[in-house]
Amino acid sequence: MKHPIQTEAGFVGNFHNGVGWYVYPTKRFKTISLQAFWVNDLTPSTAAQGALLPHLLKRGTLRWPDSMAIEKQLETLYGASFRADVGKIADKQLISVSLDIVHGQYLPGTPDTLHAGLAFLEEILNHPLTPSKNQFAEQYVEQEKELLRRQIRGLINDKNQYAMHRLLETMADGRAFGLRKLGRVSDLDAIDASRLYQYYEKVRDQSPFVLLVVGDVDPATIESYVKQGWSRGRHPLGAIEPYTPRHHNHEVIEEQPVSQGKVNWGYATGHTLTSPQYPALMMYAGVLGGFPHSKLFVNVREKASLAYYAYARIDAALSLMVIGAGIEFEDYQATKRIVAEQLEAMVEGEISGQELQYTLEAFRNDILSEEDSASQLIGRQMEKILLGGGLTGDQLIKALSEVSVSDIRAVAEGIQLDTTFFLTTDGSGRDSDG
Amino acid sequence: MDKRSNAVIGETLYTERLASGLTICVVKRPGMKKVFGTFATHYGSIDNTFVVPGSTGVTDVPDGIAHFLEHKMFEKEDGGDVFNDFAALGASSNAYTDYTSTTFLFSTTGHVQQNLEILLDFVQRPYFTTENVEKEKGIIEQEIRMYLDMPGDRLHSNLMEALYSHHPVRLDIAGSVESIRTITPEMLYQCYQTFYHPSNMVVFVTGDVDPEAIFAQVRRNQEAKGFGNQAEITRIFPDEPLEIKKPRVEQRMPVAAPLFMMGFKDNAVGKQGQDLLRHEIVMGLMWQMLLGKSSRVYAELYQQGLINDRFQARYSGGITYGMSAVGGETLDPDLLQRELEQRLPEATLRSEDLARLKQKEMGEMIGLFQSPEDLGYVFNSMYFRQIDLLSYLDVLNSITIQDVERAREGHLTAQVRSVSLILPLEHP
Repeated sequence: MKHPIQTEAGFVGNFHNGVGWYVYPTKRFKTISLQAFWVNDLTPSTAAQGALLPHLLKRGTLRWPDSMAIEKQLETLYGASFRADVGKIADKQLISVSLDIVHGQYLPGTPDTLHAGLAFLEEILNHPLTPSKNQFAEQYVEQEKELLRRQIRGLINDKNQYAMHRLLETMADGRAFGLRKLGRVSDLDAIDASRLYQYYEKVRDQSPFVLLVVGDVDPATIESYVKQGWSRGRHPLGAIEPYTPRHHNHEVIEEQPVSQGKVNWGYATGHTLTSPQYPALMMYAGVLGGFPHSKLFVNVREKASLAYYAYARIDAALSLMVIGAGIEFEDYQATKRIVAEQLEAMVEGEISGQELQYTLEAFRNDILSEEDSASQLIGRQMEKILLGGGLTGDQLIKALSEVSVSDIRAVAEGIQLDTTFFLTTDGSGRDSDG
Repeated sequence: MDKRSNAVIGETLYTERLASGLTICVVKRPGMKKVFGTFATHYGSIDNTFVVPGSTGVTDVPDGIAHFLEHKMFEKEDGGDVFNDFAALGASSNAYTDYTSTTFLFSTTGHVQQNLEILLDFVQRPYFTTENVEKEKGIIEQEIRMYLDMPGDRLHSNLMEALYSHHPVRLDIAGSVESIRTITPEMLYQCYQTFYHPSNMVVFVTGDVDPEAIFAQVRRNQEAKGFGNQAEITRIFPDEPLEIKKPRVEQRMPVAAPLFMMGFKDNAVGKQGQDLLRHEIVMGLMWQMLLGKSSRVYAELYQQGLINDRFQARYSGGITYGMSAVGGETLDPDLLQRELEQRLPEATLRSEDLARLKQKEMGEMIGLFQSPEDLGYVFNSMYFRQIDLLSYLDVLNSITIQDVERAREGHLTAQVRSVSLILPLEHP
């Protein structure tokens, strides 16, 4: 099956039969960035395995049997930076392995670091350490399970992330997008060295695979590498399930020993990246809370001094928006009132020419600046591949510049409050000295 | 205009020093869309006791005032906000304060000249009133409370308080909710006049720009403002004992597992310039050899289940202070502490590891120039310590295994060691 992706200026490549390769050839960077993805549905039964897998891939390979050997190889490759981890877009879990390496032409003796880099990725992805046939090292699996268990539980350490996750989980009401990318502790126990290896083989042989590269690289090199190594019978990319609200103005208040309250509001917007109204939604969220000139920052922070931060952010894949602020516990009602007033102002179309202009210019700056960052270019391209389209670069800037106040009002009228999550004090006091 | 290059890094720094003492540095990035500029002053949270140039008495100011001042610089006399001036040009702006410096910055993909003009003007046009100072207190109080809920931040902060008895590096950069309440417009003006003189500042610009055009613009802008000379600023730091204040500090917070950080106070302070650069590189290499991801001790501690892959060991410092911090999440802080105390002095330091790490540092130095934000940060912090960024690789290459061995002997002693712990609420 041919995936309906049009490649724009910048990336060249394609996605066929569950395998994709995209290269952004440029001489602007002295580094080459490579990132490979396996894409899977985020499900309760596989999320923890998917999260565990990159940790095992990092522990050792046939050629480099422990992480110390892998690390020494990276140091020899001029401090190449290597990551293997798991990500999430809506209801998809992305297992990814990435490598940033200095291009050989900028190094003494001009070593061929591109091929060294590809060989490194190949070794990590295809030749993990298997001391006994068809299973990972048992001891490594148990260690990584324990570390992942702690990492999952460690969500509570970051109050912002915690509040955000609790909001999403409540809004999802059991649907996959409410799962964490790390999975659940309760699913870890059933995983062992041979089950995880079976899962790895399935992912390696069947999951949709994409390799993205940014740098001074000949696309043909990457094309032939992917065609030779990765063209097996793979699943096509599954469509992302659109989000629809199940609550209306639902409020969850949770108490913990914290110094600052965190309030997050989640809204249904009705539009994803591929919607014709998406540029209007971007302008809506930008005017409301994307920047220091935006309504939320000006009214919650600058005028009322209630918060250090107050923002609105849209999720392009899920068609939802989150507004967040860190506040005094007793300022919850006051903040709620100001936020409601700002949303109402958006519906009423109370948007000045200056607000519109500043927001457009700020987006233009963000979009153009992305082109200076290989990792952002790769992330944006991956989002397009998964969502099956969407505007980027100059086309997106043009679309944003054509958005009118009435377009924004139309979007504003469709914004519905789903859930409020407020993390507040349990009354145990604020003694920061413990 | 001074133009200097390093052949291995393959980059050139263009610099110029104006009559007022202001230094400007430009790094060209052909083909890049973004231009990134900073205007930084050698003034941070530790500079809270000083002699105002031209006077004789010693001035003491409240903790957190450098950071407070950074916030207030964005306010304009007509009631407007500098963020909006940048926003009108499609640029984003921001600022940050650390122990030793305050940096104002913009990032833009167009109108470079106008953006640079705004940067130069707003940082040199203070406007503080009782009303606008009072208003900021609520905002900064929320910023401080946000940090109070971050376990990693508390871990480091508590460690600094345990290591240092008097040096102001032991205090949080933003100060405390109580200390910032005492700040007045007069105090802000006094700090401003002392530390924001051009001779104490540096402008850094990187992007697809013409260095000569940048210099000409800054020159013109500064000449119109007619800055006179300013005498040297006298910064006063209390005498800090060689020993640490407390060997161990604990705090309980809602965390899933204990957080552990072992610190070593560096008493080899007072260096600057190339001596300081050499010292910092040696310390950095020492920690990579002892506890970096390719080290034996790291591998064994990981294997024992005592650490995870976010475990870190690094050195940081300035002219008047220095410290190493080693730590991360662990289930058994006491065992981890014992293991580190025993293994760090014994671990073998190998020349082949040093050679490989030098290769890594070389690649990372080339990579640094790919990131405007990181480059600006590193350039400014080196500039204020009179370190020449381009000499990094030469100094690196001159370092021997004996240098690293000596650094370990001098640094890893019990008298300068403290441990900071963040424990879960229900921890026994």
